[in-house]
Amino acid sequence: MGRFLLRRLIQSAVAILGTITLVFFIQRLAGDPTLLMLPEGATRQDIETLRHQLGFDRPLAIQYLDYLAQLARFDLGQSLVQRVPVLDIIVARLPYTLYLAGSALLVAVGIGLPVGIVMAVRRDTKLERVLMALVLVGQSMPTFWSGILLILLFAVTLGAMPSSGVDGLRSVVLPAIALGALTMATYARVARTAVLEELGRDYVSAAQAKGLLFRSVISRHILRNAATPIITISALEIANLLAGAVIVETVFAWPGLGQLAVQSIAARDFPIVQSIVLLSAFVSIALNLAADILYSVVDPRIRLDGVA
Amino acid sequence: MARWLMRFSIAALTATLFVGGALAAKDVLVVDLVQEPSSLDPHLQWNPDSYFVYRNVFDNMVTRDDEGKITPQVATSWRQIDDSTTEFTLRSDIKFHDGTPLTADDVVFSVKRIIDPALKSPQRDQFNKIVDATAVNPTTVQLKTEGPYPVLLAQLVKLSIVPKAHVTQVGNDKFNQEPMGSGPYKFVSIQRGVKTTLARNDTYWGTKGPFATAEFHAVPDPATRVADLRSGKADLIVTINADLAAELKKDARVKVLSVLSERVAYFHLNALAGPTADLRVRKAIAHAIDRQGIIDGLMAGYDKPATTMLSPVHVGYVEGFKGYAYDPAKAKALLKEAGITADTSFTLFTAPTFDQRIVQAIQQMLIDVGMKVTIVTSDFAGWLKRAQSSPAEFGEMSFSRWSCGCQDADGVLFPLYHSSSQWAKLRDGAIDKELEAGRSLLDPAARLTHYKRVHELAEAAVPLVPLYQVAILYGARKELRWTPTPNESFFINRMKWEE
Repeated sequence: MGRFLLRRLIQSAVAILGTITLVFFIQRLAGDPTLLMLPEGATRQDIETLRHQLGFDRPLAIQYLDYLAQLARFDLGQSLVQRVPVLDIIVARLPYTLYLAGSALLVAVGIGLPVGIVMAVRRDTKLERVLMALVLVGQSMPTFWSGILLILLFAVTLGAMPSSGVDGLRSVVLPAIALGALTMATYARVARTAVLEELGRDYVSAAQAKGLLFRSVISRHILRNAATPIITISALEIANLLAGAVIVETVFAWPGLGQLAVQSIAARDFPIVQSIVLLSAFVSIALNLAADILYSVVDPRIRLDGVA
Repeated sequence: MARWLMRFSIAALTATLFVGGALAAKDVLVVDLVQEPSSLDPHLQWNPDSYFVYRNVFDNMVTRDDEGKITPQVATSWRQIDDSTTEFTLRSDIKFHDGTPLTADDVVFSVKRIIDPALKSPQRDQFNKIVDATAVNPTTVQLKTEGPYPVLLAQLVKLSIVPKAHVTQVGNDKFNQEPMGSGPYKFVSIQRGVKTTLARNDTYWGTKGPFATAEFHAVPDPATRVADLRSGKADLIVTINADLAAELKKDARVKVLSVLSERVAYFHLNALAGPTADLRVRKAIAHAIDRQGIIDGLMAGYDKPATTMLSPVHVGYVEGFKGYAYDPAKAKALLKEAGITADTSFTLFTAPTFDQRIVQAIQQMLIDVGMKVTIVTSDFAGWLKRAQSSPAEFGEMSFSRWSCGCQDADGVLFPLYHSSSQWAKLRDGAIDKELEAGRSLLDPAARLTHYKRVHELAEAAVPLVPLYQVAILYGARKELRWTPTPNESFFINRMKWEE
């Protein structure tokens, strides 16, 4: 376990350095924010003055080393546009994204898993076809469209839900459904396949022959064995939820990191974009690590050190 | 560490718990902006989402009335002492929100602060013709400009007066996060990404605001802003297009407010390189575009055709220019004469910021007269870079809209037409001379003569095709009485609420 963690830590450090390097240079390929910040009629001289003051006239390598030195001091810098420390901005926005992604995950797991299990158990029935249609809808509706439809129906027409923003507990319902739909569909599909595969195994027949209730066969045996693929997709799906938040947060004016990322990319607010990417890299790596550790917990045959 | 942990927990709490919502609708005005203000310090960013908020917190040197005329605010009167010196008399009864009086020292400080390169203000360009500011006495200030500067007053419309003592004491960063001015509303709080809250200044010297509280929410998606308005969540929403306006018109609880702004849309042509360097080609393009068709077909008739780059609300606007009539047959003939065939390719570069339906409509109109036009899209920052690049890199044409926020010919025609400007894709000595004369004379009548000549020369040389005066559309609750202005101002104390 110790050796495994050390190896993973080194791999993670390399992955994070690679990610921030890539983002640092790709952003700058398209230019800097000077022109966006100035009024249209600004003269060449004014443009050059501001560019010099912001430091964008320096060689890229120097800017990059500067950035790394800054990171080494645990300093994320200041937003170029808002002139507020990046850490303050991210700390204010992160809880909203976690709240939304968590609620969406609840929707996805809470509906997706039972639906998937029912579809496997009630294979080739009318019920399965109805549920399959639900899964298909969740899978194929783009969130920017389903989001606005949800707003029009529940907020404008029925007046039952807030149309946007964060005004209380009810505010998270519509964005969580919009964001969770795709993940819900994925969970349902994966759970269905995994359970179906286990249903045909000998131990299921043996357990039933022993006189166990079908319900407890499912919950005590099948689900445990079907857990590995579900854990794998969880790591991927949570990362997907964070990525999907970019669109859902924009549609619902949800004040999280996704919306901030879109705005900061458009405004070329490099320090914010870099910090969001850095954070996302951390989260993805942590999720994958957590999934690997969880495998060994649910399946004792898997040893993390790779030594049998 | 402890500080940000605390902020994190507060934000997390507000995210999960029920907040606000208990106040009566008439006390609180809720405005949906596109984004949150990027700065609250009025001397930093000058974009609509910031300006709409902080302009209510500060008083400016002068202001404009609803018709666009320059009227007193902090300065009650002004007179020219010599060609480059203007003396301003200030109100003596203005108090900042902390109770300290606003004096000539604050005005001098504000001018010097915004032109100080160390502040790195993106607005510096608008004020750097001012070379000195001196306080004669507590209610008199003299501003010295680099030679005669006719646009001084128009620029001072945008100069907010900040409290010298307070800014010096708290520093620039803190002032940006917790601004304090003398305006009709006081800053209360900013909840990042959620809303900015202002409270009425009950001791304001001028017209007091009708709402005890004003909240500005950041709602990036226009369809969501419309939903907010229709569901009663917002009272006023900004930046909607004609399609969404049509949706609002079907709802009896809300209405559309529109104003013809000082923004003019135009089709920029490269007169210095490529096939558009041929005057006949530029004239052909001008004849091929059906302005009225675009306005009626895509903008529901809100916008107004333009034949020069100035709107009637600009100083320097001259009536009577006919422009180039929509005449596809003439366009085809001119192209033939210039030897343009279906193989000559033209690039039309644009950015998603601009309404792509208009760009595509123009592309189709040009294809209809036999041109081969390809649209090239980049993000807005990329667009800005290309639009200000050398004629060789510019390509053939571009769709754009121009506003100087100053309602003066100098802020529009000089950057677009003068050889020294990176925007101009034209070199014309005669136009240059007229533009230089226009910016160095104080007499309005004399300036107008020069700008009339610029319009004539530009119409003959066609460095760009003026398209239309842009209408700005807002959505509002039926009860809100408000007159939007051509310079896109946003004064809450000029609004009224009638049940």
